[in-house]
Amino acid sequence: MSLAAEAFVSQMAAAEPWPENATLYQPLKDDQILLSDHASSLAVQAYLRMCGLPVQVVCRANAEYMSPSGKIPFIHVGNQVVSELGPIVQFTKAKGHTLSDSLDDVQRAEMKAYMELVYNMLLTAELYVQWCDDATAAEISRPRYSSPYSWPLGKILAYQKQWEVRRKMNAVGWGGKSLEQVYEDVSQCCQALSQRLGTQPYFFNKQATELDALVFGHLFTILTTRLTSTELAERVKSYSNLLSFCRRIEQTYFEDKGS
Amino acid sequence: MGTVHARSLDPLPMHGPELGVQADDIEAPEIEQEPKQEVLENKDVVVQRVHIDGLGRTKEDLLSYEIAEVFRANNLIDVMRRSHEARQKLLRLGIFRKVEVVIDTSQGEDALPNGLDVTFEVTELRRLTGSYNTMVGNNEGSMVLGLKLPNVFGRAEKLTFQFSYGTKETSYGLSFFKPQPGHFERNVSVNVYKVTGQFPWSSIRETDRGISAELGFPLWKTNQTLKWEGVWRELGSLGQTASFAIREESGHSLKSSLSHAMVIDSRNSSILPRKGGLLKIHQELAGYTGGDTSFLKEDFEIQLNKSLIWDSVLSASLWGGLLLPIGDKTTCIADRFYLGGPTSIRGFSMYSMGPQSDGDYLGGEVYWAGGLHLYTPLPFRPGRGGFGDLFRTHFFLNAGNLCNLNYGEGPQAHLKKLAECIRWSYGLGIVLRLGNIARLELNYCIPMGVQSGDRICDGFQFGAGIRFL
Repeated sequence: MSLAAEAFVSQMAAAEPWPENATLYQPLKDDQILLSDHASSLAVQAYLRMCGLPVQVVCRANAEYMSPSGKIPFIHVGNQVVSELGPIVQFTKAKGHTLSDSLDDVQRAEMKAYMELVYNMLLTAELYVQWCDDATAAEISRPRYSSPYSWPLGKILAYQKQWEVRRKMNAVGWGGKSLEQVYEDVSQCCQALSQRLGTQPYFFNKQATELDALVFGHLFTILTTRLTSTELAERVKSYSNLLSFCRRIEQTYFEDKGS
Repeated sequence: MGTVHARSLDPLPMHGPELGVQADDIEAPEIEQEPKQEVLENKDVVVQRVHIDGLGRTKEDLLSYEIAEVFRANNLIDVMRRSHEARQKLLRLGIFRKVEVVIDTSQGEDALPNGLDVTFEVTELRRLTGSYNTMVGNNEGSMVLGLKLPNVFGRAEKLTFQFSYGTKETSYGLSFFKPQPGHFERNVSVNVYKVTGQFPWSSIRETDRGISAELGFPLWKTNQTLKWEGVWRELGSLGQTASFAIREESGHSLKSSLSHAMVIDSRNSSILPRKGGLLKIHQELAGYTGGDTSFLKEDFEIQLNKSLIWDSVLSASLWGGLLLPIGDKTTCIADRFYLGGPTSIRGFSMYSMGPQSDGDYLGGEVYWAGGLHLYTPLPFRPGRGGFGDLFRTHFFLNAGNLCNLNYGEGPQAHLKKLAECIRWSYGLGIVLRLGNIARLELNYCIPMGVQSGDRICDGFQFGAGIRFL
């Protein structure tokens, strides 16, 4: 979206309060959604719950194509359609809902840096495992991705997606990495997050921020999703404070509402 | 007996089936009446030999079907008539640039005194012909490159490739056509294509990649077409401002459908006919041969023309269609019907009536449209007998309706729904006929019965197209 359009959208958004019928769209939960999309969707859901903004989750097979950016998830609020966590944070901010107002400039810069770390390491690793590890791609990713479509369209779309992700991996320099190296990167990322978190309840002490939502979305999904190998989850499990962090957010924001 | 040349006959345009058969529009040139007609007519002759000169790639067995009738002739007039018919048949194959007929007395040892030799002197089309066009329309400019291989394997098979490179979209198509030797109307064709279109009235962009196989044959007075088509359709919203209803339609679908079309056409021309009628019935069943789209679609088109005094023609048409979803899925926006615009209900903007969401038209599952035209020559008939004959003035009255059906209501409610809130319009304008393929219209329209949400075009409206209500 261009800057002017973005400014216009936020102005429009500010005029209206958060409606009751806000909806979040994601792919079919049981048969279709993949690890990375589920993580991104859960991050947005966690963020909105932290803000106290009600949203109804709707599963659509064509959610990816409905999204204005082609990414999962997106929210439909009033007449607005906004996709991905970053723009959604901006959007809620324009409506007067924010989690990071109490942070000073240095903390805000730090938060942005850690969010980038999650995008660059965890999300990229998830995509790598899904589409570049042949066993996972063949047993899980391609069958799930193609499940809403009939033959041969499903096959075509799945291979198209795989090719696209692999090209992106090559572009960011992950093309030549082995699976072991990727697991190692995940470990390092978790190490950094674990150190930053320390013994605090949230990354910036008492106040949950969008960073907490993002980390929760990814770690919780990695921990609870069954893949061909449990290695990815094992790497995360070795950081006990991250585990209790996930449990804490789940209990605080998702318990007795169901995720 | 001297040599009779039949080359004064007008050459026929080369055309393939994809341009539509217009042979009926060309008045069959009358055989010139010679003063000695009686003498020749009564004289018995035998066609001993038929030669075809100038063949290169073309296989002779194909042509033997086309010229077989010439041998049956038993007098000179008959020979000329049958030779002329054979010449027309040869030209219709679309593989010869020129066909000339020479009829001469038989020469040689076994020549009978009343024996005739008929020679067809043909010039084959080049192995490969190309064309290059530029097109402007729908806020888009494009370059169209066409390649045609007439007569690829020597039996009037045709391979065509068309590539269109536009400022926004790229499309291409490859098609192979094969007629049955001796029965040109019985033919099969196979197509592979990718077509991308932008439809601003729905804020939607559609990319179709498909293959189809088609069988065409005549049956009694009709032309029948059976077709299987498999299309991978990709829909996306056109820009960020598209309504949410359009967003919900975005994504991929696979349609595999069997369709049948029947056409009876007794009109003397497909554009601005003076007499005759047209009946077209088309039905499509999707979902039983695979794919994830299931529906039954029926539509028809009727046109009747009647000549009145002072070269004026009264023309009435009626269109209608119904789309029934099969199973619990709703119909896809790409399958629904659209109505309105200078080629259907004039006075309304292109496809801008009926169900809509935030200004994006979603199409309807059922529609009907009727039109009544009175075509007259231009006032005072300027350019009569030449350029002026390409023009007509017309007065028109169009009416129609388009809506969705709630299938719980029963047929009575459906009919009532179609009969209420009828959109209609009237006006007058000038029609220009472009060859036998298309026509242009400039009309002054007065739309009536406008419903909220419809977009109208009150006043002058320009239209170009192939199919008109």
